[in-house]
Amino acid sequence: MPENVTKNLQGLRAAQPAAAALDVASSAPWDMQPYSIKRHSASIINCDAEPVRTPGCIQAHGAMLVLRLSDLSILQVSENTQAILGHEPQVLLGQSVAAVVKKEGEIRLRSVLATEPTERNPIYVFTLLANAQMAALDVTLHTIDGAAILEFEVAAQSQPDAETGSVALRARSGPDYYSLIKKTVARLQTRETSQTLCQSLAEEVRLLSGLDRVMIYKFHADHHGEVYAESCRSDLAPWLGLHYPAADIPQQARDLLAKTWIRPVPDINGALAEMTPLVNPDSGKPVDMTFCALRGLSLMHTEYLKNMGVAAGLTMSLRRDDVLWGLIACHHYSGANYVPYELRAACEFLAQMGSLQLRAVEDRENAAYRLQLDEVNQQLVGKAAQEGGLASMTDGNPSLLGAMHAGGAALFHLDRWWRVGQTPDESQLEALNHWLISQLDVGSVAGPLYSTHALSAAYPPGAAFADVASGVLAAPLSRSGQNLMMWFRPEVEKTINWGGNPLDKPQVTGPHGPRLTPRRSFELFSESVHQQATPWLPVEIDAAARLRGLIMELVIVRAERLAGLNADLARSNDELDAFAYVASHDLKEPLRGIYKYAHQLMDVTPANDNEKRKLEGLMRLTLRMDSLLDSLLHFSRVGREELTLEKVDMNEILADAMEMVGSRTGDGCTEIVAPRLLPSIMCDRIRVREVLVNLLSNAIKYNDKLAKRVEVGYVNAQEISLRGGFPAGIDGQNVYYVRDNGIGILPRHFDQVFKMFKRLHGREDFGGGTGAGLTIVRKLVERHCGQVWLESNAGEGSTFFFTLSAADDV
Amino acid sequence: MMSSAPLAFAAPILVVEDSDEDFDTLREVAAASGVTRVIYRAVSGGDCLAMLRGPADVQLPLLPVLILMDLNSHGIDGREALVAIKTDARLKAIPVVVLTTSGNPKDVAFCYQAGVNAYHVKPVRYDQYLLLLRALMHYWLDSVTLHTP
Repeated sequence: MPENVTKNLQGLRAAQPAAAALDVASSAPWDMQPYSIKRHSASIINCDAEPVRTPGCIQAHGAMLVLRLSDLSILQVSENTQAILGHEPQVLLGQSVAAVVKKEGEIRLRSVLATEPTERNPIYVFTLLANAQMAALDVTLHTIDGAAILEFEVAAQSQPDAETGSVALRARSGPDYYSLIKKTVARLQTRETSQTLCQSLAEEVRLLSGLDRVMIYKFHADHHGEVYAESCRSDLAPWLGLHYPAADIPQQARDLLAKTWIRPVPDINGALAEMTPLVNPDSGKPVDMTFCALRGLSLMHTEYLKNMGVAAGLTMSLRRDDVLWGLIACHHYSGANYVPYELRAACEFLAQMGSLQLRAVEDRENAAYRLQLDEVNQQLVGKAAQEGGLASMTDGNPSLLGAMHAGGAALFHLDRWWRVGQTPDESQLEALNHWLISQLDVGSVAGPLYSTHALSAAYPPGAAFADVASGVLAAPLSRSGQNLMMWFRPEVEKTINWGGNPLDKPQVTGPHGPRLTPRRSFELFSESVHQQATPWLPVEIDAAARLRGLIMELVIVRAERLAGLNADLARSNDELDAFAYVASHDLKEPLRGIYKYAHQLMDVTPANDNEKRKLEGLMRLTLRMDSLLDSLLHFSRVGREELTLEKVDMNEILADAMEMVGSRTGDGCTEIVAPRLLPSIMCDRIRVREVLVNLLSNAIKYNDKLAKRVEVGYVNAQEISLRGGFPAGIDGQNVYYVRDNGIGILPRHFDQVFKMFKRLHGREDFGGGTGAGLTIVRKLVERHCGQVWLESNAGEGSTFFFTLSAADDV
Repeated sequence: MMSSAPLAFAAPILVVEDSDEDFDTLREVAAASGVTRVIYRAVSGGDCLAMLRGPADVQLPLLPVLILMDLNSHGIDGREALVAIKTDARLKAIPVVVLTTSGNPKDVAFCYQAGVNAYHVKPVRYDQYLLLLRALMHYWLDSVTLHTP
């Protein structure tokens, strides 16, 4: 059935202001005379040309009088007054209104005009009782453009009242709409969500009106609409969840709907009655029927309704703070349906009540959503604080998708992407991030967020992943914008339940062709939502901003804590150095005393060799202790003293170092070679020399070969990438090395060789030593922001590598 | 020239030393080297300053011809005492020889900048220490012409 995709639920395609209508008229076929649907309908060629507010005709089931306000004399009448009111139009024109409503009625009208807000606000004034010429008629009154407009419609209960038959007017009786409405309102007030409220509203309106289909039609931010709730006859196919393009109810139509609470269309095929004369003789203008219940229907609207098989309709507005939120749209298929004034009033009241209730429920829902978002935010940040990273925001539960209505989320943090749900791939994210940085006002304190529901419009490459990320909400997590978090929303087209492909349905077309058909509507809508996502709600953007704030706060707190820890560390390092220094001195003094007494005892001739050996041992240990303390002292000085950075030729340093270890190479069987010249670098000459001296002397000392060979060289940044096997974090630096053909070191000892006083060999083997040399080397290299490590094959030799990263930029 | 009899009226030597062992060693070397001047001992930098310019009851009867000073002591240490001596017009002509465990270049630099006359690091080996002290005594008490006010 074509109604599966509907259209323009209630008329008003292209309603436009009266002034505009007159402008159009200057070039329209009726430009030399006032417009009337009856006379000019065939000449209407497009919606915009139709002067819907001044149609010149009313629906013929009622009658209308236009009165001069000053004396209530009749200026215009609908041509059907004979049928409805029992008087020919010519008889009425120029007469006092009393000719229709009697003197009693005229007095009542004057009283209402004097006391009630009738301007652009139709008010029920009384019911004319039935008589021989006419049925009982409900009379409503409103004023507009300096005229009073009286509308007469057949009353719900039209039989004459036997007891008061002699009285021309009577108060209303009939169904007790007040108590009906009261119950309805009570029921609506118990609804917790906008969805259930709208569902109840649809059901109550259908119950009250008896119409075949009642829909709650909700406008989205881009003005496209959705059937949000529905109540319909059980044999009708439901339209719930269907979407319609904004063009179906254009801006002018929405403006009109925002002004009038209710718009009845009792009979789509009903006859029309033209106004006589067509223009108000006082003002020379056609009647503005915006507020008339009897207003002649827009041609475009009726044609469209006919295309859908609609026989009668009723539309009410739902507003939030005077902004059109949606419609209560009713269709009737089984025939004309005259909704009497009192029922209309009840429906209007329901719409007003519904609007108020909707606002309350939506506010509550927003508050609940906000609370939920905040709660998840707190959990996310709490976890991040605990774990010291943001990884749990995508990997944990809850994740960034915990509360936010989004299809995916991604985070750039610690130099990598963290993703959850449906997101673009990493190369797409990379490019998007790059573009976003230019969009984000990262310096803004208020809200450096970026949000869009149509990414590809602003960022054409986004079209490639529009299906998962037409909507993007991004928040930077660093001042550079490099680190950020993003949420993604899929394209609306992909999320909508179309209820079957409308393109497969047969079409019904009216005289104006396929323009007013469901197929065209579907096409329009597809275009309008192409590469678009549901817009981000203010509450969601707020929540993202608050989460960002919390994370930034966390980052700052962590940075502060880190700075504090660093300060503590620096202090404790200083204290440790001072301690080592003082301790060494204070330890040396007693040591000298011990040595002295042992020495003196030796001088007074020990009793035997055993005693002598013990005294010698005592002295030897004292000396060893002394050299350990010297190493400790030196090490503490290496850590404490400032570096003196200067540009130095490494070749000179090597030459100095070779000279200093010269005593060891004087044996004629040791060769120290440099395969190529070393570079000039920024470093502390003395400290780097000490590094080389230590490494060279180790290379020679721990060597049992007859021909000891030591090679000193470097690998530059380009060669590093070719060679591989180096530790991380040395990119772009020179790596210096000292290679020997010595005894080598087992891999399990690689770490130990750098430990203070850790010796791999016997104290007296390989010329002894305190075991502080490599510890000091490492300290010196680290003071130059470098690293030191080694490669070795036991028995074949070792290579010690080091970088001096403070140095390589020369 | 070494005198064989104590010269009570001769200007003394002041030794700032908090280690009893080291002071004993020093005294033994002095005796063995034939030093006849009276050797006074201060156990700290503060003590030393008191003996040089303190109240009458603790002040030395005569200013010393030589001060041998260890840098590390409790209270006011040798460094402060050195600075005080070398900035005191009455005292600054007295040669101060530092004799300390510290070979720290910073200490060395500090002392020479403060005007120390010589800086020696005490060796741990007793025999070497003896050699150092003997050389010191010989140099400062026999070779050098001292200023005696």
